[in-house]
Amino acid sequence: MRGFCLEVTGEYACFTRPEMKVERVSYDVITPSAARAIFDAILWKPAIVWRVKKIEVLAPIRWISVRRNEVGKVASPKSDGIYVEDDRQQRAGLLLRDVKYRLYAAFDFILPEKRGQVHNPVPGWLVDKEEVETLRNPDVRQDETEAKYAAMFERRARKGQCFNQPYLGCREFSAEFRLVDPVAEPAAPMPETRDLGWMLYDMDFTDLANPKPEFFHAKMGNGVIITDRSKVEVRS
Amino acid sequence: MILQALKEYYDRKAVDPESGIAPEGWERKEIPFLIVLSAKGTPVGIDDTREMAGRKLRAKTFLVPQGVKRTVGIAANLLWDNPEYAVGVVTKGNPDRTREAHDAFVKRIADLGCGGEAIPAVLRFLKREDKIALLEVFSPWKDIKESGAFLSFRLAGEKEPVFRSQEVVKTVSSPEGDVCSDGHLCMVNGERDIIERLHPAVKGVRGANSTGANIVGFNLDAFRSFGKEQGANAPVGRRAVFAYTTALNTLLGKDSRQKLQVGDASVVVWATKTCDLEQQIADIFGEPPKDDPDRHVKAVEGLFRSLKNGAYVEDKGTTRFHVLGLAPNAARIAVRFWIVDTVEGMAYRIRQHFEDTRIVHGPRDADTLPLFRLLVSTAVQGKADNIPPNLGGDTMRAILEGLPYPQTLLQAAIRRVRAERDVTYARAALIKACVNRETRRDKNNKEEELTVSLDEKNINIGYRLGRLFATLEKIQQDASPGINATIRDRFYGAASSTPVTVFGNLMRLANHHLSKVEKEMPGLAVVRKQLLQEVMCEVPDFPAHLALADQGRFAIGYYHQTQKFYEKKVDTTNNKEAVQ
Repeated sequence: MRGFCLEVTGEYACFTRPEMKVERVSYDVITPSAARAIFDAILWKPAIVWRVKKIEVLAPIRWISVRRNEVGKVASPKSDGIYVEDDRQQRAGLLLRDVKYRLYAAFDFILPEKRGQVHNPVPGWLVDKEEVETLRNPDVRQDETEAKYAAMFERRARKGQCFNQPYLGCREFSAEFRLVDPVAEPAAPMPETRDLGWMLYDMDFTDLANPKPEFFHAKMGNGVIITDRSKVEVRS
Repeated sequence: MILQALKEYYDRKAVDPESGIAPEGWERKEIPFLIVLSAKGTPVGIDDTREMAGRKLRAKTFLVPQGVKRTVGIAANLLWDNPEYAVGVVTKGNPDRTREAHDAFVKRIADLGCGGEAIPAVLRFLKREDKIALLEVFSPWKDIKESGAFLSFRLAGEKEPVFRSQEVVKTVSSPEGDVCSDGHLCMVNGERDIIERLHPAVKGVRGANSTGANIVGFNLDAFRSFGKEQGANAPVGRRAVFAYTTALNTLLGKDSRQKLQVGDASVVVWATKTCDLEQQIADIFGEPPKDDPDRHVKAVEGLFRSLKNGAYVEDKGTTRFHVLGLAPNAARIAVRFWIVDTVEGMAYRIRQHFEDTRIVHGPRDADTLPLFRLLVSTAVQGKADNIPPNLGGDTMRAILEGLPYPQTLLQAAIRRVRAERDVTYARAALIKACVNRETRRDKNNKEEELTVSLDEKNINIGYRLGRLFATLEKIQQDASPGINATIRDRFYGAASSTPVTVFGNLMRLANHHLSKVEKEMPGLAVVRKQLLQEVMCEVPDFPAHLALADQGRFAIGYYHQTQKFYEKKVDTTNNKEAVQ
């Protein structure tokens, strides 16, 4: 399929490096995983999987160092909350400032038979007698095509609709997005060529109990990073 | 990228036989005491390897088998450890734990399975019940017991300690098999390797835990992701872990010349190829030691000279220069900044910083100031602890990346000037640099940059008012010589921020001072009146407020004019003779 281009801007961003997760240090550029999350925030259905093909960096890479008060405990439904005074942790962060990217992605359409198990199906007592048959195979419909989802995405992105506000690495750093046509509105990526080392590509969730990280060797050529799986090697 | 760069530095040093960096499986440690044993296993003495270095006693550094991470559980080092593990001295009042610890120590040596003379002698000694009684005879034993210092063993007749004997070296150095094909992906070098669960501690970051701190560590629940434990949160292979921690510990070591302290951040520098800038940067930015105060000046001159000669241009920009700023947070280390650039670019920007801070000064002050001096001049009472925490790191980053200085720096400097009513050399240099970089960056700004010494053509209102204030103060000092509190002590703050409230009064007072001067030194009165006219002619009106940048220019104008008053007159007759 043709694919889409989103222009994403934000005041702050933190694409946390896995090894410096406690005192956060960001990667220099957006990870394919974070880029995929932005597309997921606009539209995701079990029928599609987003693949990020290319990332263009439009703004120079600038940093800011902050220190924030956070907590050192994980909340649990059984407890009555976390008292910050007992579990306060100060964590520093080296974040990115004023970021602007153009993300190029396309989705893979998954046929109804191959889609995974629905993990939270509608409980039996909510289903009407007439609907039982249709709910047994909800995805077997006449109009299941790739074009349907492409149209849905384009409509939503153009209107600015999203399931949750897209974010740049951490949820507190909201992103603004805009669907652009790269031919009609060309924008020059910044003219820098850098070797960014081994970057996190994404997490492999095929085994839900043990998600595995995947890494790839990121190279920025004139502000463009190729993240197409058919063109770069992704190791896990 | 940070870990990767450190690993590359380690690889570069490991290949170089003169570097003295620890090979895989070893580390450099100071072992103060060695128990000398005979071949039968009886102790014949205790070596004290400490020597006076300056005012402190420092022990000799040895290449020892790599230490384990000290935790609440029992973990013994190989052939060296503190008295509790090594000989079973009860230090914490828990004899059961001491016995377990000592047994673990002995077991580790026994498991080596080495032959030769040294190891069996050590084992024979350790199996004795009366070890401590035998050792108490020797004089250093009291020091050992009190300080809990590290102990190891030496065979009488050998020069080197037991852990440097051939058999031990062979066993410890042999790698545990090459690349593991069933390991996991290491994220630093992209190869498969056993993933390290706990990374060794990094020692040498000032302010962190004395037993060391971690950059990579996940000790609390809130820091874990995806249900992974400890090191699995960031899969780094064993070899990469050893490489980067050894490289970082070496760079942060006590005698390292590639580290410096900036505010609360410890900064280490290294390059992909050996270059002079690596060794000089600590002198350029840091405070020179008391026994060699010229080191800073020499290093800066060396930098300027190298740039002029084009010494940095030779490698065509392939050598990369890394600067890493680390700040402590209890048992963790936060990365304050990370800058990578070519050596030439870095040197050029450092020179730009020194050019920006250059300002006229008294004859006893140095031409350039180290960064520490500049920062401490913005702190309350001049104490290094009072420097705002992020300021050091942000200023360093601004210098090395050629960015404008942080706004906090200008504000802090001006605040200190108003609080102490004194424009010192360091503060003036800082304010001039901040104001000039802002002027340069803002292309719409019609202001001119501040010069090094007095600029009589500068018509900026803040600058002129600063000069005016200095002139009025001088007139007052001429009228009442030896006065303790001049108008600077009373009126500096108001004059600098809200001139209109104060200058009217000051001009009126100046008239009285001038008439007093006329009575005693009429010539001087004329000179002062002329200067007053010259300064006032470009001041159309006293503004109600001065913006921060203009308050900075006020301080610089005051400083320049005051320096001009104290300048010794150049002897023109001598010059004429020299020309002839």
